[in-house]
Amino acid sequence: MFKKILIANRGEIARRIIKTCRDLNIKTAAIYSDADKDAFYLQEVDETYNIGPANPLKSYLNREAIINAIKEVEADAVHPGYGFLSENHSFAEAVVSNGVTWIGPPPKVMQAIESKCYCREIASRVNVPIIPGTIASFKSLDELYKVIPEFGLPVFLKLDKGGGGKGIEVIKEMDQVKDVWERVLRVGMVAFGSTDCYLEKQVINPRHIEIQFLSDKVGKCICLGERECSTQRKHQKIIEESPSPIVEEKERQALYEYTRKLVMAMGYEGAGTIEFLRSEDGNYYFMEVNARLQVEHPVTEFLAGMDIVKCQIEVAAGGTLNFNQEDVMLEGHAIEARVYAEDPVNFAPSPGKISNLKFPNMESRYLRIDHAIAEGSTVLPYYDSLIAKVIVRDATRLEAIRRMEEALLDFKIEGIKTTIPINLKILKSKEYRDGNFNTSLVEILLERIKA
Amino acid sequence: MEATINAHMPGLVARVTVSEGEFVKKGQTVAVINCMKTELAVISEYEGKVKQIVAKEWDEMDVGSSMIILELDEGKLGHV
Repeated sequence: MFKKILIANRGEIARRIIKTCRDLNIKTAAIYSDADKDAFYLQEVDETYNIGPANPLKSYLNREAIINAIKEVEADAVHPGYGFLSENHSFAEAVVSNGVTWIGPPPKVMQAIESKCYCREIASRVNVPIIPGTIASFKSLDELYKVIPEFGLPVFLKLDKGGGGKGIEVIKEMDQVKDVWERVLRVGMVAFGSTDCYLEKQVINPRHIEIQFLSDKVGKCICLGERECSTQRKHQKIIEESPSPIVEEKERQALYEYTRKLVMAMGYEGAGTIEFLRSEDGNYYFMEVNARLQVEHPVTEFLAGMDIVKCQIEVAAGGTLNFNQEDVMLEGHAIEARVYAEDPVNFAPSPGKISNLKFPNMESRYLRIDHAIAEGSTVLPYYDSLIAKVIVRDATRLEAIRRMEEALLDFKIEGIKTTIPINLKILKSKEYRDGNFNTSLVEILLERIKA
Repeated sequence: MEATINAHMPGLVARVTVSEGEFVKKGQTVAVINCMKTELAVISEYEGKVKQIVAKEWDEMDVGSSMIILELDEGKLGHV
């Protein structure tokens, strides 16, 4: 087993990983930017290492600085968390070439998966349904004009190497094509260093359902249920739950089968997620692979009573999964609400100092909160606005919803705006309670509030 | 007369969209601040010529940090 893991991340996910390392008696090293130097979680690790200024390009995305930190603290493994360099294959390769273990899928697999078109091609090869659209990527506006008529409007223009809700735009009318193309191209250049695009037919009123899986080097792939992630704002999830209120057992088994086929075909090892879209008429389409620990992994952990980070570390250390699909017990219902430091109506960022903070009071078998905030601490403008994840679990979906409402009402964060009010509105809505919603739920609710 | 356009939100300067010597209209976007990964436009409340660009790409901004200095059009001061 590893002696010291360096956590190449910050905030709540750094803390989350620290916790498992401590459970496993593995020493931890944390990196931090100048802006994060007073973060309280840095006191929870064995070693800390400054990697540069606030600007993430010069700190948490600065490969050289992080590789240097890895050498300095003599870490024998790196956990990248999510975001930042977590899905960057060349960083993973650099880690490995320094004789350090990468806690994540093999860099070669990561490199392949970075291309959405590669994944679409694999999926179609192993008979997993994909959303109608182009399989090969294209690079010019001319080609875009040429392929649109094949699928008809509305279509999504997506970056082959995009992610995190960025580099995706819908084209509804032909006269938008050029503008959309230029915007997507700019995001590609600035955020992803690639402007290759592909086209996908827009699935109307889709639900976003994903399968969490674990796989190891001997080809065992275990699925840990699905997560319903349709409740989104700005293409990013805000409430997730497991199980999904709409997925029937036979559909779940089909999604498991798709997942196993894709994981095997890609040669994936470690923890990952396969995202699917469900159309209004009940068809499922493979959308993408998330080659990282996901933000919403606690939903599954809480429901399954498992530690996914522990499994990641064990698989990365060369171990095999010592349990089988039949051992996975998913009983009851779990929900996660993401608390963002944002205006709850227009989602404008709201960084600043937390003047008052009170966490909800509830038995730990019902409630888990992953966060890295403290009273008097500052939510920085340089990084993601996610500040806390409230996760509840109970016997039934309705009871879990009730628990979540109770927890959120009892969660007091003052000094900044948070999305707690919209989280509560979602939970209260008839659509959510009935389990009858899709990715436009948040927009619909906001329209209703304005009216 | 001069006027300074300040950051209205904290964050990092994503880009400055005007250049020195350029004439800026009221309501025009002169820079973009990246705050919590969201791009926010910095809008000029004034009309005038860009005298100096103070904010550079990736500079850290607080609310009120100076970004751009404008040379105001004397003839139009009454409208500012």
